[in-house]
Amino acid sequence: MLENIALIKEVHEHLPTIKAQKIAKEMLEKIHQEHISLYRVSACTPVEIFYIQFIRALMMKEKKIIIVTPFSLIENLRDINVIIKNITILGSEKEILLLDMLSNENHYEGSQCSIVK
Amino acid sequence: MIFKFVENIGASTIRSLSSLTEALKFTSVCLIHMVNPLSYNPAMRMVLVKQIYFTAVTVIPLFLMMAFLFGSVIIGAVIALATEYSLQESIGSIIITFVVDEFSPFFTALLISLRSGTAVNTEIAVMNVNEELNTLKEYKIDLINYLFLPRIISGIISVTSLSILFALIMLSSGYIFTLFYMNMDLHTYKQLLMSAIEVSDIVILLLKSVAFGFVIMLIPIYSGLKTANSYTAIPISVLNGMVKLFVALFFIEVLSLILQLL
Repeated sequence: MLENIALIKEVHEHLPTIKAQKIAKEMLEKIHQEHISLYRVSACTPVEIFYIQFIRALMMKEKKIIIVTPFSLIENLRDINVIIKNITILGSEKEILLLDMLSNENHYEGSQCSIVK
Repeated sequence: MIFKFVENIGASTIRSLSSLTEALKFTSVCLIHMVNPLSYNPAMRMVLVKQIYFTAVTVIPLFLMMAFLFGSVIIGAVIALATEYSLQESIGSIIITFVVDEFSPFFTALLISLRSGTAVNTEIAVMNVNEELNTLKEYKIDLINYLFLPRIISGIISVTSLSILFALIMLSSGYIFTLFYMNMDLHTYKQLLMSAIEVSDIVILLLKSVAFGFVIMLIPIYSGLKTANSYTAIPISVLNGMVKLFVALFFIEVLSLILQLL
């Protein structure tokens, strides 16, 4: 998965592979997911795949990241707060939006993010 | 009835021509990317190294064994025939023409097609069906630079280097036969080959290998890209790709023979 994440910086910023993989590894370490560094996608859980997708999105130049319906995106997701916490830990200047349906509103109770209806 | 028949011929001709135009367009786009230095980003170079490893390096043990077996047996047969028809004086040029110009590049191309051509076709088809290609596009990753170019370049490098290796081993193993059949010493055998080989033989070997390597990867990639969006379409894509590839290989071979005859 390290290669998978590093790819973005290698392609868009022409960063050498070693440097790009170092950045990718640091990101995974921040959210204690470094064990998936050498996994292939089939060995990862849905949450782990989500983190990879999110880190890849962080590597892009776009200022905004939109996560649409996380509960259908991540299979068997029970607590969105764990995801929100890790998104915060990864920290970024980007604006991160979670789009979800009103029926899932109760899942966001007590979360740190500001809710706009 | 006749109108329907003519209509069908027209429709299939238009279809064939438009798919040929599309394939030629794809080929030219790949060639343009190949000469653009910006295409060679670190990710692409990493994929290229891996592709060369999987295409050319992992096949070496099998390749060496086949080159050795074919070398001793086929060169033996060529020498036996040449002796039978009193062509001993031309044995050197017969061996060089047969091994360097014809057999090595064509045999290498067939082996790499069966091994890597099928693999690449399946890989691209699976990526296409799984929407992985679309994901890469979403991340603004150029598919040609990241996926196709490393495979095409590795095809060219692998086929060329393996053809040279095949020719060298075939010629070396041919000595075994000449030693036992003709009682020829190594120095004489070496002289026989050295006096027969010409620059044109090397040029033919290189040009054919480059052309073979290019189509061995390009056609399976193109076929994989054209896969319909279902898993059952993958074997059909590989089947079509391989048939087109074999037609292209024979076309290159026949074209090179015609050019040599002119």
